[in-house]
Amino acid sequence: MANSRAEIWAPELPYASRTWRDTITRSAPWAIALTAATAFIVFQYGAQFGIWKYTVLICWYLALLVAGSLWRSIQWAVPAVVIPALAAVWMYSAGQTPENSWILRYFLQGLAAVLWMGGLLLLATAAYVLHVLMKNETVGRWATRLTWAGTLMGFIGLGVRWRETYIGHPSWGHIPVSNLWEVFVLFCASTSLFYLYYEQRYRARALGAFVMPLVASAVGFLLWLTFAQHMDRIEPLIPALQSFWMKLHVPMMFVGYANFTVASLVGLAYLLTKRSAVRGGTLSKMMPAPEIMDDVMYKAIAFGFLFFTTATILGAVWAAKAWGGFWSWDPKETWALIVWLNYAGYLHARVVKGWRGTNMAWWSFMSIWVVTFCFLGVNLFLSGLHSYGKL
Amino acid sequence: MGISGEMRSPSRRRLLWQFLGSMRLAVNLLVLLAVASIIGTVLRQQESYSSYAFRFGEFWFQVYRDLGVYNVYRTLWYMGIVGFLVFSTATCITRNTPRMLKEILEFPVRQREGAIRAQEHFLELHSALPVPALQERLLSLLRGYGYRPRTEIRDGLCYVAARKGKFNRIGYFLTHLAIITICGAALYNADVPVRWAEWMGTLVPETNFDLPLPKIPHSAWMPLHNLAYRGSVTLPEGDTADVVFESAGDGYLVQKLPFRIHLKSFHIKYYSTGMPRDFVSDVVLYGPQGQVLKSGLVRVNHPMSYDGTEIYQSSFSDGGSLLRMRSFLLGLPAMAAGKLVGKVGQTLKAGSSGYSVSLKNFKMTNVVPWSSVDGHAHPGSPVINLGPSFIYVVHTPQGGAGEFKTYMLPIHRDGQSFYVQGFRATRGAPYTYVAIPNGPHGGISLFVDYLAALQQALNGGANPTPAVLTQVFQQVAEVAAPTMPPEKQALFVRDSMLAMTQMHDYPAPFILRLSSFHHRWAASLQVTKWPGTIVIYWGCVALVLGIFILFYLPQKKVWAELREDPEGGSRLLLGGSADRNKLEFSRTFEFWQKNLTDATEIH
Repeated sequence: MANSRAEIWAPELPYASRTWRDTITRSAPWAIALTAATAFIVFQYGAQFGIWKYTVLICWYLALLVAGSLWRSIQWAVPAVVIPALAAVWMYSAGQTPENSWILRYFLQGLAAVLWMGGLLLLATAAYVLHVLMKNETVGRWATRLTWAGTLMGFIGLGVRWRETYIGHPSWGHIPVSNLWEVFVLFCASTSLFYLYYEQRYRARALGAFVMPLVASAVGFLLWLTFAQHMDRIEPLIPALQSFWMKLHVPMMFVGYANFTVASLVGLAYLLTKRSAVRGGTLSKMMPAPEIMDDVMYKAIAFGFLFFTTATILGAVWAAKAWGGFWSWDPKETWALIVWLNYAGYLHARVVKGWRGTNMAWWSFMSIWVVTFCFLGVNLFLSGLHSYGKL
Repeated sequence: MGISGEMRSPSRRRLLWQFLGSMRLAVNLLVLLAVASIIGTVLRQQESYSSYAFRFGEFWFQVYRDLGVYNVYRTLWYMGIVGFLVFSTATCITRNTPRMLKEILEFPVRQREGAIRAQEHFLELHSALPVPALQERLLSLLRGYGYRPRTEIRDGLCYVAARKGKFNRIGYFLTHLAIITICGAALYNADVPVRWAEWMGTLVPETNFDLPLPKIPHSAWMPLHNLAYRGSVTLPEGDTADVVFESAGDGYLVQKLPFRIHLKSFHIKYYSTGMPRDFVSDVVLYGPQGQVLKSGLVRVNHPMSYDGTEIYQSSFSDGGSLLRMRSFLLGLPAMAAGKLVGKVGQTLKAGSSGYSVSLKNFKMTNVVPWSSVDGHAHPGSPVINLGPSFIYVVHTPQGGAGEFKTYMLPIHRDGQSFYVQGFRATRGAPYTYVAIPNGPHGGISLFVDYLAALQQALNGGANPTPAVLTQVFQQVAEVAAPTMPPEKQALFVRDSMLAMTQMHDYPAPFILRLSSFHHRWAASLQVTKWPGTIVIYWGCVALVLGIFILFYLPQKKVWAELREDPEGGSRLLLGGSADRNKLEFSRTFEFWQKNLTDATEIH
């Protein structure tokens, strides 16, 4: 296994397998900064917090702590999102509006930031495709930078929009994950973010040419929702959604969706690379080794599965609080179960039976239809308790 | 024969035992369950049997009913698949437990050479270092990677062994036990004894929804000390109930509650856009002796709990509002509009005509998209408020019936105002909407008079030419609306013609319009008792924790054997394997090999 790609990967090794103690020592500055920020929030606003707000705060604290320790890029990405978002919040509270401030109008306003995200991710997609077609590393580096920029703008947009839901009518305020437009922003940003993680972790930039086109089509759908359906308008929440559970249930669900999406498109990359290798094509020269793609698929599905399970359980607990039953066999719930069963089957086959290779890549790739139907199809074609996601 | 039979039967049993706990079966069951679950998402579940019959026709309706397609997730075959999956999981756990426990508890330092060589990764090297130095090198390498290696020296050989993630197998127990626990508790919550009684025929769902409570036969009552139930009751404001109803097939079962629920009031809070913001019921719970047990608000997302039961705000409807209506007879000229008063839920006799009117379903506000009224997009004002509405069913003396929906507020189009009236001859069919033009003084009497005059004229032998239509209208308008300008008259005639065409199949000889009302809400409260809930919570915690352990605390094992080489230096055998993250472990192992080889070369 002494091919060139394995060697590129090898220097990463001591880092990859280092102990927990190393991880903790290395991320001490991150932990200190994050703890300080959390302590500031508690001292500044803690008086208004109930137990649920503390729960959400602790969840975010732990999630960012772990994420920043395991993936150091998070350590600068978080301030890169939080600082501009807070700047926009401060500008709003200082009486500025998109009408009288060009910074808000063109950059930081929720909608503007989301449009930036869309544009940057579209450019990034084109750059990834060019990178693979032209076999040009410089274009590839730009593709990664553009994806980072787009992802950060997406999260900035969501952060600012959260503030914007309160402006003008404080009773409307809600975390912006309540309608199709908002969750599509979240989907684009989180899929790109998790893709960046796998790209960096496996030094596998060519995968972007397969993953990002799907993000680009999601951006296309988002733009259609914005300009044809005007779904970017802020609307109040229906009673069923007014619950703190939404702040945990929906974001966790999208960690699952994002990872499943990445896994299935890496599956496609695997299949096409194999095919190209059989036919003597040149695609396999650019792509990572098949066993690396196989590993990305498995890692993404396992991680997505953990979060998808947690999110589904949180959804069931929320349903028990709101509707009096954990499980009502509502189409969305049933499809979530179908997705869960599908990936439970995949993981059993992969981990216990040790299946690898083309069949598993097909399974992973075809699963995107199941996931997409659960995420989108249910809302478009079926009716039920999750009908607020409708067009 | 006897001998071979004895020989074969245990092996068959073992085959069955292996089959039940096999991975192939588990994967197939997971996929089968996923496919079976799709059915219930394609077809709306638990609607009324009549609406299914309307959609599928009598033959297919019966086929689908027998297959249980209308309530897939409660059918025996679906429960059977779930049960089989649980059974297979339980078999799997029972079979694997002894082996896995042994694996967790026992980790021998000494390992046979063959076993070391049989590991997924294996290396053998010769080193110039003496055994203690090479051993020290290996130990520090392993410690650097977070292992805690153990050493044993026996018969001149030095053994080193280390492992990480010893508790990985716990993840297996947690996840699989969690699945069994969750499914078991869910079955318990689904009230197995009641389902069983229903299946055995000792409990019979009642299908007549109009029976008063005391007349519901005893066979439809669930026992007072039922372990688990989930029923709902619709309470008008000011009323009290001590039962809830649980739907079962095309009927319902009655559950007696250990307390009485009194609904003091219900109200809806709105946002400035007219969207509902919250649904709030103010309720009091009374004990059997009339003492107050608890009182407070029941809101969406904020149920009230009392002694193991939870009370939820589930929906709302009309609780018997008082309606004052005007009735317009179609086809009788110059008749003053009649007056009718009744409460929602009542059936009124329409004079001595033999017709009767049942009042149903009063609704306070109807904000609907413009497109659903006339099919056109109206940029700027996408929604329209049609005001209060109510539904009435007219029973004809011949035994026929028609259903009508009438809105109180008019809509405006091209300077003309219309009342919207929906009607349908069959329940479950879509409404046909007709827009009836209003006269200059408001109200539909001008239209009704015009219709009557036209019918009279046509019965008298006139042809429905445009001139005749206009002329008849002018005669009517001279009396009813003398100040109406001619261009308005032309518009009115056009709109009336349209409405009359739409009313071609109108199934009653009169129209009711709402003139005023006194509103009274009813709230639907859901009452559940689910003692299995806490078990489900713990099952969920175990599931998530188990998945985490399984994927993120993989078990890695390393065994080494060091021996002195008779020709000088030492020999090392090192074998290792990981049950997850195999790629990563193989890279690590390559790195170890390089590191240890380097160590040999330097000296």
